[in-house]
Amino acid sequence: MTEEQQLKLQTFFDKELPEKEAREIASWLARDADATALHAELRNTRQALKGFEPELKVPESREFYWSKIKREIERSAPARAPAEQVSLFTSLRRFLLPLGAVATLALVGIITLHQFGGGVVRPVPVNAILADAGAFTYRDESQGMTVVWLSYPAEKKLADSPSPDTLPAK
Amino acid sequence: MRLGLICLCLFFVAALMLSTGSARAQSDGSATFEALLVWGTNDAKTDPKFKPADPALAEKLKKSPFKWEHYFEMHRENVKLKLNEEQTIKMSRNCVISLTNLKDNQIKFELFGKGTLANTVTQSLPKGQLLVTGGDAENSTAWFVVLRRVE
Repeated sequence: MTEEQQLKLQTFFDKELPEKEAREIASWLARDADATALHAELRNTRQALKGFEPELKVPESREFYWSKIKREIERSAPARAPAEQVSLFTSLRRFLLPLGAVATLALVGIITLHQFGGGVVRPVPVNAILADAGAFTYRDESQGMTVVWLSYPAEKKLADSPSPDTLPAK
Repeated sequence: MRLGLICLCLFFVAALMLSTGSARAQSDGSATFEALLVWGTNDAKTDPKFKPADPALAEKLKKSPFKWEHYFEMHRENVKLKLNEEQTIKMSRNCVISLTNLKDNQIKFELFGKGTLANTVTQSLPKGQLLVTGGDAENSTAWFVVLRRVE
């Protein structure tokens, strides 16, 4: 007997075959001893299973039964760890550490600003009104110096005068 | 604990520095200026009584386009000015300057030679900056009026 024939027979046994095929199988069963034996085996197996299938019934209602399971799960779950006792010193340190970091950064920033003047050399606007036509203004940013150069009193008559214009009398 | 104390100290130092800075910025705007009359020459043989100019200042002047090698301080005046206060200072027999302390580190500088206004300069003059006014003097020498902020 082939496997396909066995399956057909099982399908017939389960009454799942179309009528025409079912008649063919029935006819085949009448003729073939092996098929008849297999059919009988299937029948016996079904009866054996039906006879031993246990049907358990709980004494409580369904809701009460499951609520008992739920309570049991909750009871056996590990208890939460108690809150850690934090000392005053630890809390203070937790507060001071970031504060110290911020203070350090602020110090570094302030010192840098003081040392390097912000690191940016901004041009200084100079407003000069020169009475002397030969005078000029010069700005040296690298030296941080504004120079106003006057031709006065370079005029010969002033330079040659007995009293130098701006130098104190020696 | 030690680390915590260090952090606390750092915080207070930072706070102190910040408050000092802001206090300075909120001051009454008064300032002290130093005015120097400087003589520049290439002649190394000068009167030994002459006082050499501050080396840092001399170095700055040497690094500028000036051609002189030696600088002597002939006169020095320190002037404290309130905000918007003006003061006239006699630097030599013929040289008088007038300073006005303006807001935002600004200074108005006027130079009078023999009683005549030679120039007026208005500019920001923070600490460390120089305002130099100069001119030729006899025997290929030069005179300078150097102004800087002290406080």
